[in-house]
Amino acid sequence: MSVKVEVIEGGVPHNTILIAGVVSTLVCIYLTYLNVVTQTEMFSFFGGLAVVAALVWGSHTIKVLCSYGIGTGVPSAGMIAFGSGVIAMLLATRVTNLLLAPVVALILAAIIGLILGWVSNNVLNMKIPAMVQALTEMAVVGALSLMGFAALITGTFGFSGLTTGTVSMFGITLLTHTNSFLGGCLIAVAFLLGAIAIQHPFNACLGPGWTQDRMLMLTAECAFLSMIVAAIMSLALISAGSALISLVIAIIGWAFTYKEYMALSKRDAHSWLDSKPIPDVEGH
Amino acid sequence: MEHIVFGIGITALAGALATVAGSAEDTESNIGSQGDPNSQVQLAPQMGFLHRIFNKAVAGEPPAYGLWCCLGAGLAWAFMAMQFNAVLAIVLGCVFATFVQGVYATTAYVGRTASLAKFGQPVYVDILKSMTTVTMAHAFIAIFCTVTLCHLINTALGHPFPLPLLGLIWGIALGAAGSATGNPYYGKERQYQNQKFGAGVPISASGNIVRYAEAGERNSIDNGWFTAKIGGSASGICFGLIVFLELWRTVVFEAINPWYAIIVGVIMILIFTVIDRYIEVWARKTYGPYTAPKEADA
Repeated sequence: MSVKVEVIEGGVPHNTILIAGVVSTLVCIYLTYLNVVTQTEMFSFFGGLAVVAALVWGSHTIKVLCSYGIGTGVPSAGMIAFGSGVIAMLLATRVTNLLLAPVVALILAAIIGLILGWVSNNVLNMKIPAMVQALTEMAVVGALSLMGFAALITGTFGFSGLTTGTVSMFGITLLTHTNSFLGGCLIAVAFLLGAIAIQHPFNACLGPGWTQDRMLMLTAECAFLSMIVAAIMSLALISAGSALISLVIAIIGWAFTYKEYMALSKRDAHSWLDSKPIPDVEGH
Repeated sequence: MEHIVFGIGITALAGALATVAGSAEDTESNIGSQGDPNSQVQLAPQMGFLHRIFNKAVAGEPPAYGLWCCLGAGLAWAFMAMQFNAVLAIVLGCVFATFVQGVYATTAYVGRTASLAKFGQPVYVDILKSMTTVTMAHAFIAIFCTVTLCHLINTALGHPFPLPLLGLIWGIALGAAGSATGNPYYGKERQYQNQKFGAGVPISASGNIVRYAEAGERNSIDNGWFTAKIGGSASGICFGLIVFLELWRTVVFEAINPWYAIIVGVIMILIFTVIDRYIEVWARKTYGPYTAPKEADA
């Protein structure tokens, strides 16, 4: 039985973040379906916003889980979130009715997370009270974030869209599997972008001076930063105009959250010194 | 025969790139106090030892470098898919990956230090500015060399994996090599120069890392300068050997029979196990366990 070392004091309760996270992520992923309705790719940026929403929720789940000494380090939580999420996400993209894919991903991920949580607590004997719920939530976050990245980079979250790309040769456009989200293995980049972005905020803000608003602002910053580079990668797979819309939104979001995060850190820091020596502490 | 000679040439080039990457990676992570030495940098202010050491633990080195190299490779792949020249694509990809690394480094330092406010540890803006840029420069070299060697493996040696996946695999290998080989030199040696050699780190000395330099106060560039000499080079040789031997056995023996490459791999592991064991036993015999100095008979 591990001991809970920190408690969440004040701030928004976890359940509120959970509900807001699920709803806003699903809404944003469904909004990328406007691409199909309007036969364009300009709504792909909603995929990036889904990633931001999912990661904000996921990083708070990591805070809840890692407040117990889990003994494997904070980054491991990000890896298991996306490791379990990628299975659910890939399976869900195969459903015939594309509109069901995000919900199927959510349900499949929750089942995988539940099993993993049960195995961790009962077979590996970790016996951490928050483990089952946290791993379930994180698998869902992983699956929906990857779906968001897929929609941001390719404009769709259907399996055929993720495995087929185009290549121009002598003015003729040919279909290819090599130049696609899965064929080019951009999913590996999306995996790590998400896995590091979800664990970094708690890893960077842990300690006695942890504050919820600072950590969640950092999550949004990490997510928008991931969105910037994902939008650059999307230039290869969707129209330049649509990719630029995502890029501009990502840059604006990142610049704002980075500035806010620095301001919150300045608020929480003991002092903010420039080229000053180490202060004298009594006894040392 | 010709393609084997060509393959060995590419292998040598990839090994050389890996050596540079390993060396730069270790120096970068030491300047950022990443990896296992980080715990002492994080602990020091809590024990009352305020310091001017950079603390930018984003994650362990393997996942962090997995991301930087995978991202560099993914962006390079995207630029190449847009018909960019390969050299330009790799450089641009690595520039953006280094930008991401730099942003993560600043938020990690500011966040960790702000959470230590209770112990009076200040955030040093000059440290943030000067150390981040130095780590970014080293990270760029490490990422660029790794992505280039992945591109060589992919195009010149005809590896079936796409570039981003190779970037992920070799990025994790690079971080693991730097973490396992180079870190002890910083964490066990440099941070504890004030302790008796071979004494280990007694509980009473926990967090009491060296904070003052030959002149003035020590910062992380001093640590990078120190570890670049042996820790960085050792990491470079480690990663260079991993890449070189891995590709060499595949290029030379796979052409004869794919099973031979696997058998040679197993034999190499056995040889290295014997060498490692010999060095360990020799070091224990020569330096021995630490014993407290005996009182002089009076």
